[in-house]
Amino acid sequence: MFQLVLIALFILTLFSATSRDVFFTSYNFTSMAYQIPEVAILSIAVMLSMLTGGIDLSIVAISNAAALIASYIMTHHLNAAGTTPNFWIVAACLIGILVGILCGLVNSILVALLNVTPILATLATMTLFNGIAIGLTNGKSVSGLPEQFLRLGNGTFFGLPTPFVAMIILATLVSFLINRTGLGLKVFLIGTNRKAAQYSAIADRKVIMWTYVISGCLSSIAGLVIASRTSAASPDFGASYILLAIVIVVLGGVNPSGGFGTVSGVVLATMVLQMLSSGFNALRFNQFYYLVAQGSMLIAVMVLNLVLEGRRKSRSIHQSRRT
Amino acid sequence: MNFKRLFRRSETILIFAIIVLSSIIGIKSPSFLSIASIFDIFRSSIVQLIFALGVLIVIVSGGIDISFPTIGIFSGYTAVVLMQRLELNPNSLIVPLVASVIIGVALGAVNALVIAGFGIPTLIATLGTAGIFRGCMLSFVGITFISEIPVGLDNFATADLIRIESPTAPLARLHILIIPITLLTIGISFLLRRTMFGRSVYALGGGSESARRLGISTRRVQAKIYMLVGGLSGFAGILFVSLQRKASPYDLAGSELDVIAAVVLGGASIMGGYGTVFGTVLGVLLINLIKGNLILLGVSSSWQRAAVGVLLLIGITVQAITESKKVRKRRVSTNEEVVA
Repeated sequence: MFQLVLIALFILTLFSATSRDVFFTSYNFTSMAYQIPEVAILSIAVMLSMLTGGIDLSIVAISNAAALIASYIMTHHLNAAGTTPNFWIVAACLIGILVGILCGLVNSILVALLNVTPILATLATMTLFNGIAIGLTNGKSVSGLPEQFLRLGNGTFFGLPTPFVAMIILATLVSFLINRTGLGLKVFLIGTNRKAAQYSAIADRKVIMWTYVISGCLSSIAGLVIASRTSAASPDFGASYILLAIVIVVLGGVNPSGGFGTVSGVVLATMVLQMLSSGFNALRFNQFYYLVAQGSMLIAVMVLNLVLEGRRKSRSIHQSRRT
Repeated sequence: MNFKRLFRRSETILIFAIIVLSSIIGIKSPSFLSIASIFDIFRSSIVQLIFALGVLIVIVSGGIDISFPTIGIFSGYTAVVLMQRLELNPNSLIVPLVASVIIGVALGAVNALVIAGFGIPTLIATLGTAGIFRGCMLSFVGITFISEIPVGLDNFATADLIRIESPTAPLARLHILIIPITLLTIGISFLLRRTMFGRSVYALGGGSESARRLGISTRRVQAKIYMLVGGLSGFAGILFVSLQRKASPYDLAGSELDVIAAVVLGGASIMGGYGTVFGTVLGVLLINLIKGNLILLGVSSSWQRAAVGVLLLIGITVQAITESKKVRKRRVSTNEEVVA
C-alpha cells in the first residue's frame, strides 16, 4: 500500500515535470476525475470476485448491457422537447441495475452452484451477454440520451464531479462490506482456503453467489456512469477495460488467488493508471504505448509479488529454523 | 465395445448435434445439402482449427491462453510488412509462411518466459502479453490496412484442390490446404497421444505438483507448449492473411472466444488432463456450422456471438454436471470434491 502511494506520487511528479502545461492543469485533473470513477467501479467489481479466488471477466459485457437497456428505455420516453420525465430516468437506471444483478446471478449460478471454473464461466457469460446486446441492437449504439441524465455524468456535486462522488460513496460502502461485515470476513476466509472455510461451517456457495451478484450490480452502475458521461451506450464499448481492470486490481495489491485486497488500494491504482494514460496523452505518445504499458505493468507487478512472496517464505523458514 | 460409455462421450454427442443441426438447416434450406456447403464449412474452419489445436494443447495442460489471435495477426501482418519493406520475392509462399511461424514462435517464447520462467498464472500472463503484443504491433509495425498483399499469398487464396463448376449448383471449391491441415491434425494427435511430450502435457494438466514428482520437467514442458502454440498461431495468422487477401492489424481481435468455445465444446476439460483432437475438430465444425448458417435458420447474423455464447454455456454446464456426478461416485476424497 505504501509502495503504491510512492508510485502514485512518482508518476504525478514525473508527468507534471515533463509536461507541465498540459498535464498539471486543473482542466486535466478535472477530466481525469470524470474518467476515473467508471474504471474504479469496474475494478472494485473485479476485486470482489478475485477476493474469493475467482475472477469476473464479464464486467464490461454486463456494464454495456445495463447501459443499453437503460438508454433504450430513456430514449423511448423522450418528450417532444427532448427531455424525459424524471420518473422514467429513475426507472431506467433501476432497471439497468436490475439487469446487472440478474447477470451477476447467472454468473453465481454457474460458479457457485454448478462449480464451473470462474474463468470459463465468466468467459461464457461475457460472450452471451455481449452477444445478446449485439443481437438486440444490431451492433448499433444508442445515443441521444436525455439532458437531465447527462447532467449526472458531467455535472458537479458540491464542487466535485458527480461520478467521482458516486465512486467514493460506492467505495466506502464496499469497503465497509468487506472489512466490517460477516459477509466480508467470510469472503476473505473463502479466498484464503476454500476447503477450510467449508469445514468451518461457512456457507461458501451462498457467499460466492453474493460476491458475483454484487459484482454484477457494480458493473451495471459503472455502465450507467459511462452512458451518462459519453451520452451513448454501445455493445462494444470498453473492450480494453478488462485488461485495465485486472492491471489495476493487481497493482492495487489484490492477490489473484484470493484472500487479500483493499478497496483503497484499488482506487489508488485506478488513479495511477489514469494518470499514466493522461500523461502519455499529454506527452503525445502513441495511444498503443499505453496498451504496452498496461501489459508490462501487469506482468511486472505479478513477478514482483511472486519474488517478494518467495523471499517472505524463505525468511520465515529461516526464522522458524533458528528458534 | 462398451456402448454405454461410447454414447456418453462428448464426441458422440457432438456428432449427433452436428447431424441434427445439419438436418434442420437442410430442411429449412435445401441448397445447404450440397458439396459446396461442405467445402465452404471446411474453408471457413481452417484458421480456427489451427488456433484450436494450439488452444487444445494449452487447455489440456491445465492453462488457458488468450493471446493466440494477437500472436497470429502480429506474425501474419509483420510477415507481410517485412516482405514489403525488405522487398523480398513477392511470388514466394514459403518466405511469408516461414517468417510468420518464426515470429509466432518468438512471441510464444515470451509467453513461455512469463509462464514457465516466472510462474505467473496463465490467464493473467497471457492477458498481459496479449496487451504488450498488440500494443507493440500497433505502435512499431504499423496500423495501415494493406489491401495489396504479396502475389504469392494472394494467389494462394484461390488455390483449390477440387473445383466443381456447374450451371445449376453454386461453385464448390475445396482448398488445397485440406491436405496439409489433415496432416497437421493427425500430427498433433500423434504428438499428444504417443509421444513423451504429449504424455507430459496430459500429466501437467492432471496436476502440476504430481507431474513434477513424476520426474517431468514441468517448466520445460510448459515452455515447449507455449512456443508450439505460438508457432501454430503464426501459421494460422499468415493463412488468415492469405485467405482473406488483406492484412489488417485490427483483424482477429476478439476471436479467442470462438476458438475457446470450440475446444471446450469438443470435450476438453478446462481443469486440464482431458481433451482430444477429434473432439476439437468436431467443436470447430459445430461452431462454424452454426455461425455460418444462422441466416439459413432464419436468425440474423448479429446473433452470432450470442449463439456461440449459448453453445459455450451449454457445453460447460454439461461438463460441470457430469463432473459433479463423477465426484459423487468417488469414495476417496479429492481436491475437487463438491461438498453438497
